[in-house]
Amino acid sequence: MTEKILMKGNEAIAEAGIRVGCRYFFGYPITPQNELPAYMSRRLPEVQGTFLQAESEVAAINMVYGAAGAGGRVMTSSSSPGISLKQEGISYLAGSELPCVIVNITRGGPGLGGIQPAQSDYFQATRGGGHGDYYTPVLAPQSVQEAVDLTMDAFDIADKYRNPVLVLGDGMIGQMMEPVEFKKEITPDQLPEKKWATNGAAGRKPNIINSLRLQPEKLEELNLKLQEKYMAMKKAEVRYETDNIEDAEYILVAFGTTARIVKSAADMAREVGMKVGIIRPITLFPFPEDVIAKASEKARFILTVEMSLGQMVEDVRLSAKGRCPVYFQGRTGGVVPKPGEILDNLKRLAGGGK
Amino acid sequence: MERYEIRLSGAGGQGLILSGIILAESIIRFTTKNAIQTQSYGPEARGGASKSEVIVSSGEIDYPKVRKPDLLLALTQEAYNKYNRELKEYGIIIVDENVYIAPRSGPTYSFPILKTAREKFGRDIFGSMISLGIVVGLVDLVSPADVEKVVIERVPRGTEETNRKAIYTGLELLEDLEKYEIQTEEEEEEK
Repeated sequence: MTEKILMKGNEAIAEAGIRVGCRYFFGYPITPQNELPAYMSRRLPEVQGTFLQAESEVAAINMVYGAAGAGGRVMTSSSSPGISLKQEGISYLAGSELPCVIVNITRGGPGLGGIQPAQSDYFQATRGGGHGDYYTPVLAPQSVQEAVDLTMDAFDIADKYRNPVLVLGDGMIGQMMEPVEFKKEITPDQLPEKKWATNGAAGRKPNIINSLRLQPEKLEELNLKLQEKYMAMKKAEVRYETDNIEDAEYILVAFGTTARIVKSAADMAREVGMKVGIIRPITLFPFPEDVIAKASEKARFILTVEMSLGQMVEDVRLSAKGRCPVYFQGRTGGVVPKPGEILDNLKRLAGGGK
Repeated sequence: MERYEIRLSGAGGQGLILSGIILAESIIRFTTKNAIQTQSYGPEARGGASKSEVIVSSGEIDYPKVRKPDLLLALTQEAYNKYNRELKEYGIIIVDENVYIAPRSGPTYSFPILKTAREKFGRDIFGSMISLGIVVGLVDLVSPADVEKVVIERVPRGTEETNRKAIYTGLELLEDLEKYEIQTEEEEEEK
């Protein structure tokens, strides 16, 4: 058994990348994710990797494009305003079918906003984010350990589909220290060869990486191919966790940091006799529609809790298809909701407790 | 063990963030308890009042923030003023002797932390390890010997011995605990 060590979320995510063969990191500083590039700048040279602090987020994401095209496992990270700046590049990566891992340690917005935790980039994350018809798988950890495990998986998913993958954390996940263990240790030479990569064409036909298709029919063809990938992701990559939903009258839905808080609230609610279950989406795209659809057939209502003013709740409503009421509760701007306020709302919605 | 919440506060740069990290790490490595550590970040961590928080529990820790600390340590008046309000009614307060405390009924201690750091080690910053020694000695969460192991690993190279001594200086202050316990006005009136 590996020994558990105490690590800050940002540093643990960086180490997780290195442990699955990530050897390229391009970034630009922004709070609350600075410890991630700082850690990479120290660790990557030790494993003959490349760390580069770019002149901007836009430059960093285009360096990711280059390293991904050459077949390397590559990563970048930022926080909300910086992720907005990267969107053009992410769209190019999706259009050129390049695998990479992008970490968003979300802070409150809009604009420069603040530096405290938020989940208000859900829409941006789950709807592609940039221009064009594309999606990226979105993995949302609720603990430092899960941030490690999901970052490792993110590289595999990215390679499997040749697609960027987003790890969506928040200022809480990035900044807190929790015990972690690293369950994998893979070096780049153990990874399968990427036959499509532009890493030197000596002795073979040149590979081309490009998102430009001037002929409408050719561009439509690319789009249809991309859609097939997204459909395949919806079939194979959905992840979620449930807690006591079998006999629940009330279902709470939350992801990331908020899911932990909702768990405290659910424990308190059960103590006063309320039958409360939890559904925690782990992938936000693809979204766990089926489990929510099924729960909506029996539940008296669903309450979605987010650190935003209501984004994931739209996907919950689409999944519930009107079979039960779907309510929303949220705090925003960097305010983290307290279990007590969720409990109070649950009681109010259920009609005075019990 | 139920959830136990510790808040170490002072001015940004006084070293208490490291104290919190060392406490949390020694708990997860050398006891069966779970711990998480959070802290002020951004400009708050670089001046003014800042805090380092540790939550300890024998079970899973769901809510990741401190709600009502069981123990508050404050090295500056500003930190005390900013962070004392949420404390549990009978929670422990530990302050540096320069901090004025409002009347209250829980256990309250005022130690010459920064003065001792200056006189014994020549620098205020060692007050962070004296503070850690006091906390470790006062609350039975992890043994000083286990904390010492983590101190050696976590502090900057070349300062291990001084930091280690500072932990034990904190523990030694507890030998005269009664001397440093302060009776606030409210309690005196009750008598």
